[in-house]
Amino acid sequence: MSTVPDDPPPFLGTWNRVYAAVLIYLALLIFAFYVFTRVFEP
Amino acid sequence: MRALDWVVLSGTILSIVAYGLYRGRGSNTVNAYLLAGKSMPWYAMALSIMATQASAITFISTTAQGYADGIRFLQFYLGLPIAMVILAATAVPIFHRANVYTAYEYLEKRFDSKTRALVSAIFLIERGLADGVALCAPAIVLTVVLGWPSHLTIVIMGALVVAYTVVGGIKAVTWTEVQQMVIIFVGLAAALITALWLLPRGVGVGDAFHLAGAVGKLKAIDLTFDLDNRYNIWSGILGGTFLFLAYFGTDQSQVQRYLTGKSIAQSRLSLLFNAVAKIPMQFLILVTGAMVFVFFIYERPPLLFDPVELQRIQSDPAYAGVDQRYRSAFEDRRGAARELVECHRSPDAAQYARSLAAFRGAQNELEGARADGVRMVEKATGRGFTDTNYIFLSFVTHYMPAGIVGLIIAVIFVAATSSTAAEVNSLATVSVIDIYRRHIRKDASDRHYLWASRIASAFWGCYVVVFAEYALHRLGSLIEAVNLVGSLFYGGMLGVFVLAFAFPRVRGTAAFTGVLAGEAAIFWAHFATHISFLWYNALGCIVVVVTGLALSWPASRQNQVSSQ
Repeated sequence: MSTVPDDPPPFLGTWNRVYAAVLIYLALLIFAFYVFTRVFEP
Repeated sequence: MRALDWVVLSGTILSIVAYGLYRGRGSNTVNAYLLAGKSMPWYAMALSIMATQASAITFISTTAQGYADGIRFLQFYLGLPIAMVILAATAVPIFHRANVYTAYEYLEKRFDSKTRALVSAIFLIERGLADGVALCAPAIVLTVVLGWPSHLTIVIMGALVVAYTVVGGIKAVTWTEVQQMVIIFVGLAAALITALWLLPRGVGVGDAFHLAGAVGKLKAIDLTFDLDNRYNIWSGILGGTFLFLAYFGTDQSQVQRYLTGKSIAQSRLSLLFNAVAKIPMQFLILVTGAMVFVFFIYERPPLLFDPVELQRIQSDPAYAGVDQRYRSAFEDRRGAARELVECHRSPDAAQYARSLAAFRGAQNELEGARADGVRMVEKATGRGFTDTNYIFLSFVTHYMPAGIVGLIIAVIFVAATSSTAAEVNSLATVSVIDIYRRHIRKDASDRHYLWASRIASAFWGCYVVVFAEYALHRLGSLIEAVNLVGSLFYGGMLGVFVLAFAFPRVRGTAAFTGVLAGEAAIFWAHFATHISFLWYNALGCIVVVVTGLALSWPASRQNQVSSQ
């Protein structure tokens, strides 16, 4: 195994925060699609 | 196709190929040819990952799913962001630090050579089959648009892929895919806007969505848990996570994309970009299909979208009756749709309920007439039949304005060649690095392996063409066929990487046996049960991990006793 540097992300400071942001985004997307389904399904 | 379409089509294809080859120059070492010298920025890898997955099938088959089955297929992608986060946190740093050409090379460092050889062989079989299916899509396009025999179009497409892959290497393929994704986004937006623009006067965007939703085409989220139901939120989040973990974490056609990154951070960003962008993109494609459905509420579509099979059944004495029923059902549905749009705007709930029931009844009648037509084809040919892959193309070629038709055809054409080229490149990489260099010719020069990579690319291109010929007309909806082929093998591959990453005590023989057990479980589930294929990955992965741990337990127990 070589020693490859693990740079920080360009935003949010740490990778764990970036991962959390992606998962929150997914939760919001699912909620939005659920609302979309209810609105257009008479 | 009009003159402007031909100009747009040929200009787009030529500019993309020329740009790719220009950016790919200097790929004259194995490292440059297969890993682009580890020089790629995150945005190039991100768009390349997206383009490799979004082949021509994405346009042809996903829009057809939106038309025929609604947008519930969207749930299939809900596990993708979760998988990307897991892979960014685990697989990306491990593969980068292992300094490998392929994911399977890492398996020998972690386990042994037989596990590496087994998983490499599984990848070559799985990717070879899936790639063949993917090459059918552009052949269908050219058959419909140009009237060429489908076997000839497959050979022509395959020849272009072989030449492109052999000459360009991964750098050319990646930069080509960057440009291609930009064109895909433009083409996608143009298709959706045009579909809405073509709706009759008085039918707004809100009305179109309401009509599609009235017959269940806009059901994006289904909360019911049912193992036999292919698409619901649970199969998407749980089954989809396993599938995408396997696809992006163990399939060399994707791993190779982010192995070209300048750094771990650049590779991580490329995966996370896909985590954010993929679901909205699929939503856009599916909604385009649903809007094509609404367009065909007002404009009568053919009984069957496959013109060849439609012509075949027109000589059948029963055709006139079926066609009459279909025309009548179409008129009833159009009338019911007009009434429903009017009632939708009025406050009379009882009248609205009656209009809704009439519209749904007319839709069922129309689908029944179409099913009669499908049965006539099946009776005439003696095999199963579906025309879903022709729906979007039929709409594009008959109703879209000049220029846009050429753009959409170019997008489909380039998407197919580019993603197929990338996959052929990964097949060649595994053949040379994991099989040829490891087991057949161990100490040759870099130049020798470079030429071996080019010859392997040519071989896999020919193999893909042969399988595409077989797959044409034999498999149903293409995108489902590709995912099904992947799901038969991905669970075993994912399981062995989970063992490698998460269970340091597991050794080679236990992992090797686990993969065989996992594959046996998946094939049993496929042939002996009705479980949806989305669950195969989870099943296979769990069986591999449990088997690997069970076989390692006596050894680790013995080690513990010895150390005491």
